[in-house]
Amino acid sequence: MKVVHDWLKDYIGDLIPSAEKVEELLTFHAFEVEGREEVVGHEVIDIKILPDRGADCLSHRGIAREIASITGIPLVFDPLLNQERLPLFSDIEVTIADTKACTRFSAALVNGIEVKDSPEWLQNRLRALGQRPINNIVDATNYVMYAIGQPIHAYDADKFPQVDGTWKFDVRFAQKGETVSLIAEGGKQEDRIVTLQGTELLIVDGSSNCPIGLAGVKGGAYAGVDTKTSKIIIEAAHFDAVVVRKTARRLGIVIDASKRFENNLSQGLVPHALRDVVELIIKIAGGTCEGSVDVVHEGALRPQVVLHVTHVNALLGLCLTKEVMVEILKRIGATVEDKGEFLSLTASFERMDLNIPEDYIEEIGRIYGYNHVVSTVPASVPLSEMNVRHYYSEEVRKTLIGTGFSEVITSSFVAKDDVQLQNALASDKSYLRSNLKNNIGGVLDKNANLADLLGAHDTRVFEIGTVFSKEGGSIAEHVSLCLGVRTKVGGYTAKDDVVLSEVMQKLEETLGTKIVCEVGNGTVECNFTEVFSTLPIPTAYKKVDVAEEIVYTPFSVYPAMTRDIALWVGEGTESIEVEAVINQSSGDLRLRTTLVDVFTKEGRTSYAFRLVFLSYKKTLTDDEVNSIMEEVYRSVTEKGWEVR
Amino acid sequence: MEYKQLGHQHPLSKMISEINGIFSEIGFVFAEGPEAETEHYNFDMLNVAKDHPARDMQDTFWFKKEDTKEPMVLRTHTSPVQARFMESHKPPIRVIVPGKVFRNEATDATHEAQFHQLEGLCVDTGINMGHLKGTIEYFFSKFFKGDVEVRFRPSFFPFVEPGVEVDMMLKNSDSKLANKWIEIMGAGMVHPNVLRNCGINPEVYSGFAFGMGIDRLGVMKYGVDDVRNFYSGDLRFVNQF
Repeated sequence: MKVVHDWLKDYIGDLIPSAEKVEELLTFHAFEVEGREEVVGHEVIDIKILPDRGADCLSHRGIAREIASITGIPLVFDPLLNQERLPLFSDIEVTIADTKACTRFSAALVNGIEVKDSPEWLQNRLRALGQRPINNIVDATNYVMYAIGQPIHAYDADKFPQVDGTWKFDVRFAQKGETVSLIAEGGKQEDRIVTLQGTELLIVDGSSNCPIGLAGVKGGAYAGVDTKTSKIIIEAAHFDAVVVRKTARRLGIVIDASKRFENNLSQGLVPHALRDVVELIIKIAGGTCEGSVDVVHEGALRPQVVLHVTHVNALLGLCLTKEVMVEILKRIGATVEDKGEFLSLTASFERMDLNIPEDYIEEIGRIYGYNHVVSTVPASVPLSEMNVRHYYSEEVRKTLIGTGFSEVITSSFVAKDDVQLQNALASDKSYLRSNLKNNIGGVLDKNANLADLLGAHDTRVFEIGTVFSKEGGSIAEHVSLCLGVRTKVGGYTAKDDVVLSEVMQKLEETLGTKIVCEVGNGTVECNFTEVFSTLPIPTAYKKVDVAEEIVYTPFSVYPAMTRDIALWVGEGTESIEVEAVINQSSGDLRLRTTLVDVFTKEGRTSYAFRLVFLSYKKTLTDDEVNSIMEEVYRSVTEKGWEVR
Repeated sequence: MEYKQLGHQHPLSKMISEINGIFSEIGFVFAEGPEAETEHYNFDMLNVAKDHPARDMQDTFWFKKEDTKEPMVLRTHTSPVQARFMESHKPPIRVIVPGKVFRNEATDATHEAQFHQLEGLCVDTGINMGHLKGTIEYFFSKFFKGDVEVRFRPSFFPFVEPGVEVDMMLKNSDSKLANKWIEIMGAGMVHPNVLRNCGINPEVYSGFAFGMGIDRLGVMKYGVDDVRNFYSGDLRFVNQF
């Protein structure tokens, strides 16, 4: 929610802290601030209102009240304390079919207005919020919404048919198949016609039973205000947050009005909004208010909450006096009755979030400042339970890593298996894996030809992870352990299984138990939950040291190129000397040099090295690598060594 | 022939081992629970309102209705384990819950539909926000090897009240993370409804809970540039650890 700093001043007065200070105060006592910038000469602060505060803080007045609560500066002007109401009349009739979905509906008639541009100050404030001014009537409804948080809609009364001299508004749920025409969306010319399911709440022209707006979600173009309009009906109402949210979500509508209704506004805002917007319209468009209706079906009373003074300090870890608590609670607008050991509290009507003692404790904590909370590490106690799965997973990891296996964690989502999700992210991710070996097979395929790049003899991987199956009307899961080996780049060979069988035997020795599993096609998988469930419960974890900070380097997405070089050197020439010459002459693209073969014959030693080349910028060509190798051959020949 | 090359441990499991090492020293039990979770534990028990947007298909992966007797989801957080543990244990309770969680959101370099979360929970008589602050400072000081100071900012999560956002600052360290405030996790005092749902009397006991992304810890600690690497099975990634 964007707020204009000088607009806040309307409520706080000259004592308002600077925009920078406001940002800091809000950050540590109320909300995250997402940005601050100057727009058309106004300082604008972008505030991330917490989900439980949308009812009162998606408004300038709400933010001003927050600042007042934090600083103790009293508000110089609070429209929500204004008890004045518009005069009532009977020219507008409202019928509410579902009084839970719509608890309040008010409307006022203003006659003799002149539709024109809004005054500069109003246009500017809207522009500062990123809104485009339209005309003084529409601007006024928007302005009051941004001021106190209540959405408002205006109709041309002359275009709205009357029945026996009265205007009739109905609020009811839609019938399946019914349609409603909504105001054209930004950038579009045509109104949007929506076909309804029956779950949507509608505002209806009672004279014809014609839907004229989706209650709380979006208004229709019906009886729209234009430049010729001189008599208007202004509507302010309260709609159920869940009904609004469901319709808005389904239709993909997110506008400032629907967002506010979704946040469970207080219906107590309705008369304030109607009064303020009528006053503003008369001021900037002329005319007089001929009367209003206010149909209320449920009181807006906030619950009375008992707050024990000791409870506050016990939860916050502070030592506040009752006086400090009372002072803060009064600042946030609560009615406080001091009952000695406890306080009896009632929130101001717009604070829909204050319902239980802990809600008030949070208010006291954040307004007083969490920076006063003193750190206490809870006294150490002995471990009451061991995690057997974790303990033995660590044992398995140690053994496998010791035999050259690297650990992977693969996706739980697969393209096809037994357990399907209701709502998948993508068609190749719509099932959950029932085994790990399919994924491990894929990991082997992907990594086998990286062995040279990685400087590995072969590819060895394992995963410990959850797999899923359907079982008796539920989803069953267990922890699986899977190993994979690929000794040849080209693909599976029988040798892979030999390595796996040896390693499984070693695992059985480590864990001291038989492991039921089947080795084949270069993978082996076992039900690890079954394995560890039979093992003795350990008494303590092995000590784990926190690793030193490693700086990860993003890897090149381009393939590596490999070249082998074998050469004769005089006996006694160290491989390290030869390697240094090779490395010096092979340039920046060389990633690694590995000694792969050594033998000595007739006073000479043969060394074979494997060089791996990699670029971070492109796929290397044979020609590029060959020319590097030419340079290497030249250097080693200069040393008197013979390339074989 | 003895195989000479050592393999590499995945950074996530490595961090989980370290986390358990740090927390087990002050008596936090490593608890875990199912990844395929009931709506009851994932949402209801945690005071997430019936009509809360988090339950929508846009945010949560649901299992097919015909496959499960009661509605089930891929857990969206490790918090249901809090509820399961509190139901089956009496205070004092101290647990950490590292584990995989799932969110139905588009993936990019900073988002994965699967990631790992670390949950912490402590319930006893007299537990207050000071204990929360102290525990988090204790953990990060060990995990990042330095003196860590923690600060709270107001926040909101349905299962805690008060709820806070936690920032940390690492001091006396050469780390690239040092000497700046970093937003690190959400936390708060366990909501009385959650305690009550789990059969614990909130008039007698109080507790704190916190939750953070382990993947994010990896991004911070190791400078990982793309969280999807954690789940790619690419050894060019894993072998750096």
